[in-house]
Amino acid sequence: MTLSLSDPTWYPIASSDDLPFRHVYQGQLLGRELAVWRADDGNVNVWENRCLHRGVRLSIGINEGGELKCQYHGWRYANRSAGCTYIPAHPADAPARRIQNRTYPVREAYGLIWSAANDEQAFRPFAGAEGHDWFALRPMPVNAAPEDVLAALAGLAPDDQPADLLPGLAVRFGGTWYFVQPVDAGRAVIRGLLREQPADAVATLRHYNETLSKLRDRLERAAARKPAPEPLQPTFEKLSADLATMPDIAIPRGNTITVVVRRKWTSADGVIGFELAARNGHLPTFQPGAHIDLHLPNGMTRQYSITNGPGELMSYIIGVKQESASKGGSKVLVETVREGDLLSISEPRNNFPLRRDAVRTVLIAGGIGITPLLSMARFLDKSALPYELHYFTRAGEQVAFRGDLEALHGKVILHTGLPRAEIGTTIASALGQWSMAQHVYVCGPGPMLETVRDTATAQGWPEESIHFEYFRNDKVIDNSSAFDVELARSAMTLHVPSGKTIMEVMRDAGLTVPSSCEQGACGTCLTTVIEGEVDHQDVYLNRSEKASNTCMMTCVSRAKSARLVLDI
Amino acid sequence: MPSIDPITRDLWQVIAATDEVPVGLVEITTLLDVRLALTRDNDGNPVVWRRTDEEQGDEIDPETVLDRLPVITGYGYIWTSLGTPPKELFPIPEYAEADRKNMSCGSIGLAVSAPRAVENFLDMGHFPYVHTDILGAEPHTEVKEYDVEVSEERDEVLATRCKFIQPRAAKSATEAMEVEYVYRVPHPFCSVLYKSCPEDENRRDVIAIFLQPMTEERCRAHLLQSMIDSTSTITDLRRFQQTIFGQDKPILENQYPKRLPLDPRAETPIRADKSAIAYRRWLSQKGITYGVIPMAS
Amino acid sequence: MTITLYDFELSGNCYKLRLLMSILKLRYNIVPVDFYPDRQHKADWFLRLNPFGQLPVLKDDDLILSDSGAILAYLAKKYDESGQWFPNDPAVTAEVLRWHAVADDITSTASAARLALGFFYDFDIEKAQKGAHRIFRLMDEHLWFGEREGRDWLCSPDHPTTADIACFPYVMLSEEGGISRQDYPALRRWTDRVRRIPGFMVMSGIFPAGRAAEES
Repeated sequence: MTLSLSDPTWYPIASSDDLPFRHVYQGQLLGRELAVWRADDGNVNVWENRCLHRGVRLSIGINEGGELKCQYHGWRYANRSAGCTYIPAHPADAPARRIQNRTYPVREAYGLIWSAANDEQAFRPFAGAEGHDWFALRPMPVNAAPEDVLAALAGLAPDDQPADLLPGLAVRFGGTWYFVQPVDAGRAVIRGLLREQPADAVATLRHYNETLSKLRDRLERAAARKPAPEPLQPTFEKLSADLATMPDIAIPRGNTITVVVRRKWTSADGVIGFELAARNGHLPTFQPGAHIDLHLPNGMTRQYSITNGPGELMSYIIGVKQESASKGGSKVLVETVREGDLLSISEPRNNFPLRRDAVRTVLIAGGIGITPLLSMARFLDKSALPYELHYFTRAGEQVAFRGDLEALHGKVILHTGLPRAEIGTTIASALGQWSMAQHVYVCGPGPMLETVRDTATAQGWPEESIHFEYFRNDKVIDNSSAFDVELARSAMTLHVPSGKTIMEVMRDAGLTVPSSCEQGACGTCLTTVIEGEVDHQDVYLNRSEKASNTCMMTCVSRAKSARLVLDI
Repeated sequence: MPSIDPITRDLWQVIAATDEVPVGLVEITTLLDVRLALTRDNDGNPVVWRRTDEEQGDEIDPETVLDRLPVITGYGYIWTSLGTPPKELFPIPEYAEADRKNMSCGSIGLAVSAPRAVENFLDMGHFPYVHTDILGAEPHTEVKEYDVEVSEERDEVLATRCKFIQPRAAKSATEAMEVEYVYRVPHPFCSVLYKSCPEDENRRDVIAIFLQPMTEERCRAHLLQSMIDSTSTITDLRRFQQTIFGQDKPILENQYPKRLPLDPRAETPIRADKSAIAYRRWLSQKGITYGVIPMAS
Repeated sequence: MTITLYDFELSGNCYKLRLLMSILKLRYNIVPVDFYPDRQHKADWFLRLNPFGQLPVLKDDDLILSDSGAILAYLAKKYDESGQWFPNDPAVTAEVLRWHAVADDITSTASAARLALGFFYDFDIEKAQKGAHRIFRLMDEHLWFGEREGRDWLCSPDHPTTADIACFPYVMLSEEGGISRQDYPALRRWTDRVRRIPGFMVMSGIFPAGRAAEES
């Protein structure tokens, strides 16, 4: 029997006990090295043991609980998705979401961690697995060919209990199951399971360990007399072409995801919490500060920040303000959407990235503005970075996500019911004087944003240290230019006169163009630019995205050149 | 045995620190999968030849060695070539300045290809993670924009305006300060770094790494320092450089694949990697295939 | 008291003493010894300190000591007020010394392979690697059963001892000698635990471990 790199069989690759809190286990299956780690939520990750950036083994990295941190450049990869969430060399940028390490399927069962070289086969328990309280033996690595190890294990069967060879390099006799993990052509690990918990666990473990050690020594002596088999030669998969070019710009592909409303609850007076869960598997990687577009049953689109902490990808939790004056958006969500309903959301998009290179981070939230800042606080918390979270509400009953805030280890200060003037002085003392590598993030009502901006500026905070997210574009739009747009896929050239937007002209020509805010703030009308120079007037794209001249918002932005070619 | 591309074959390749080769005693080393022997004659001049299987013993009269490989000395090191090398080594003019402390800092084996080691030498983003509290420290992790060019005239990669916040850039420093680096890659397996000098703000300390490609996946790093430092001893300065290099070693030895992949789709570059990208392209354009995974043609 | 350590940064044996002194919060001076490339440990001035020509050497006022294991015991007995690092109990003392001897075996195997591959010492690499694997197997088994029996460290007390300090460096540096620890998961977990001892410090070639738990 020769081992195949594409063998789809599920094999055990570790014991459950091999993955204690905040550890990274180094494993191997069919020649491929694996970095295996358990996140704080209990989930086990099985990844290619290689950082996508420079090929360094991730097994020498650090398990931060929700993210794995590469030892070489500190890149962070999220629990479950293996998506890159942070690149410290460029702390102000959100990394391209599609930087994602290779993952392998994983299942934890019967005291073992199981994986496979590919996901061609669904995990199926071995015959007779159900209904027993399995007991895992000490794994025994053997420097011998896996098939030889299997044969030798079968030879352990007593005469009155013939060995039963099972699919997937396994053998059983009596109440003992042995699985051979094919590490490589000349290496294997014996992973044994007993069907019952023994009376004296340690004595039993020692007994089997002695038997298997002797078997190993015999196998290795025999293997040493034979020529060593050629190790398997796994290849590293190539990256997508867009990751091979340098700019790390995250342009969403407009993919929508269907999620189910798993939970809807009153988080505080006037704030409804929604837990939006993936229907199968996990949701895409997000970064702190990211939001999703939620497509509402009435056809509207609204943006909501993700409140989750690092590596929490099974569901996104958002908070929705129960505005009595709301004209449709959150009202629909609050009043008509029920638990169990399906909703459509966009992939997460980050317009409010969190730098993790600050010596001090001040987070200031007003009302529902707590949502992105809660996520930021959770990320800083997991990495033990210093932060102060100031949360302003009109009354104590309006404090949303209270339990989540209490679980944080950093400085969380609630300011309730302060009169306006006092809010100003509280913000001033919360900020203090600026010094190098301090950053403030603010999310809340317009007047609060302005207070923070003005106070910070007055106290010496430079512009690049003050971070806030626009859900609205307050800039005065200059629509005086006139130019042509060529729509490459529609084979159509349109003239955009002064006073009209590209979007309006396209609509006039009978095209259906997705849009939401129509003021350059939400990102719904994001379009790829093929040629021409863009006159960006939105507040959605960040500086490097604007400079790349590869995308634009057709609702407000225009052309500096006489002609623009768009991928529409 | 892997084939050696003609560019690599004709280069000068470093093999030892001159002072560390004893007169009349034979040292054995490997260059480009070839076993070499070297010694110094009574005048101290290095003699290098291909070691054959018949040769035994570690003493030799250098006069008896007839089939010699070309030799040049420079920057305290012995260089040889398996092909037809150029007349001179690449220049490091600062080395000749009279008041500098020039020193080798040891020749250390690395289980990785020479180009991987060059690329690591050019990299600043790893300072806070690998050289923690010396060349960098969290939270100051940003690699700011810098300039990279491939100088046609000198045929080398040049990165300038490279700045990084360092916690202890100088012995006297009590706070983090920004230091400025210039990097040169004047040889496919050698790199030279110029770093702001604490003692004289108009001059720069020079640190160079010369890689001896032993095999495609193994090399020997020869470290040179050329410093303006009137107070530290050679031992102190060596210790500092060895500390830094010892921190890079486990990272380099945990890199896969061990040869440097030149296909842009093999790994994920970011803006901070501009110099590495220029270096990979430069190797590719030169036609270097030794120690790299060339782009599929 | 004035403690002076004659030290080479890349030496695991010197690091054992830096590590214990860091944990015990002892102040000390360093005299760098150029072990490589200058071979100062064979120089006359050094041989007068230690005729065996080996690092490290430690001077405590006028007392001159050599051998890392002996110095670990000395530092612990003299300066560790908790009495934990080199316990007085005769049975535990024997246990600790037993692992000090294993540490020396690790030096003559794993460290020898590292010197051969990294510093071009003329040692039998394959023999050194095989010897290290043999020891690591036994350590992994010992530590694996320790985990089952509620023992986190090499010796039986519920805290680390100089045995852990003595064995740690050349286990961690083994990959430089071409000795993978992939087959020794319990040994790898133990290296996490050692790196989480309060006061732990690194040396070149050894990275710190992540945090063991959330701290408030």
